[in-house]
Amino acid sequence: MVDSRTIVFFLAVAAFLVAMATIAVRSYRRAAKSSTKDWEHLLKRLQVVDRSSIAEVALDIIDESGQQRRDEGSAGLNPEQIWKLVGGLKGLEVLKANCEVLIDLAFYVQQWYPEALVVAEQLRLSAREIEFHVERLKGAERTGKLKSAFAMYAQPAVGKYYLMTRRLLALYEERNLPMLAALQKAL
Amino acid sequence: MHLTGLDLLFWATGFGAHLILLSVLLIRRRYRQFPIFTAFIFMNVLRTIVLYFTESLGTKATYFYTFWSLGILDTLLQISVVCEMYALTFRPLGGWARDTRPVFKWLVMTTVVVAAGLAWLAAPHARLWIQVVVIKGTFFSSVLMTELFVAMIALSVKSGLPSKTHVARISEGLGFYSAVDVLVEAAHSYFGVGRGVHIYTTLSQVRMTAYLVCVGYWIVTLWLEAPAEREMPDRIFSQLIELKSAVDSDLEEIRVRK
Repeated sequence: MVDSRTIVFFLAVAAFLVAMATIAVRSYRRAAKSSTKDWEHLLKRLQVVDRSSIAEVALDIIDESGQQRRDEGSAGLNPEQIWKLVGGLKGLEVLKANCEVLIDLAFYVQQWYPEALVVAEQLRLSAREIEFHVERLKGAERTGKLKSAFAMYAQPAVGKYYLMTRRLLALYEERNLPMLAALQKAL
Repeated sequence: MHLTGLDLLFWATGFGAHLILLSVLLIRRRYRQFPIFTAFIFMNVLRTIVLYFTESLGTKATYFYTFWSLGILDTLLQISVVCEMYALTFRPLGGWARDTRPVFKWLVMTTVVVAAGLAWLAAPHARLWIQVVVIKGTFFSSVLMTELFVAMIALSVKSGLPSKTHVARISEGLGFYSAVDVLVEAAHSYFGVGRGVHIYTTLSQVRMTAYLVCVGYWIVTLWLEAPAEREMPDRIFSQLIELKSAVDSDLEEIRVRK
């Protein structure tokens, strides 16, 4: 006769092994996604965002050159408007997903081009930090403090995300790369 | 202790496989990159020799203490191998990556708590307290090792720090063996040692088979060279530099506004 403690023990061991297998399989899948695709494939994973809304939020606090606006009309959007324009939590998820693409790009570079290790590592760390800020906003959402935290963290993050994508597109334009059309669509 | 023909076969195969693996590590000069892993394999060769002579010449008690003392040393070396693999993965520029450091504290705490919890739940059938300690201790160790290797794979992917080819192969091997060992030790805990040595021996043979598969995998993968590094095209390099400076600039702005 098997006692209840033994049953609990075997259920716990089974749950443990299933959890370990699930984590390992998911990690291998993501690693395969990063390492087997080429650079252009990874860039393609950047998700489409509402460019006009992102631009509106960003240009509320910065100008096209990326400088902080000091004029009277700057920082005119209130938290509700920012929330709506960014697309709320869904918009933040897109921002986070795009940060993951940056991390995957760094992963790809570190794996195949060790000569660029230093640059890739710096890019990776920066993308991870942006990801961390987005996580803070999600944390604020869970504790019901999102509205107040949103204006504080989201608008600067969106502004900088906007600038980053502009620069990336400019880079592609300068070099006349064939990926430009697809990238414009994604960003 | 009476050894069957199958026991001797496992012993001889294990010894031979470890000798081949040690030769691979030396001939391919992998010991430079993996000194602790090489020490772990060397210790396994040495352990087989010591146990063989202890079994032939010593008493039952001497064999018991030698076996478990070397078992503890083996566990300590396995934990050191884990540290070596973590260091090779999470120190891309020589120091621990800034974003992974805070994770390690939680990782160690969580893995130890989970392993201790599962070991506490185990209720081995054994006559002597030392047997209970040994079974629970071995089970704890195998759960901990499984967690650490799976966590290493997950963390390396999540943080964007790929394991180098041979590091990944060694980690996969030890991770697989540890997971099989969790099952074997759970069964050891249920059957214990009081219901007959036969089941205990059979389970040990299952574990040894898994380990031999693992050693075979290491022999092949460590003999092969890692895929050649590619020369980075200028186009990608310049894109990377621009992207990096853009992200840096973004980050500065976010930090200022925090």
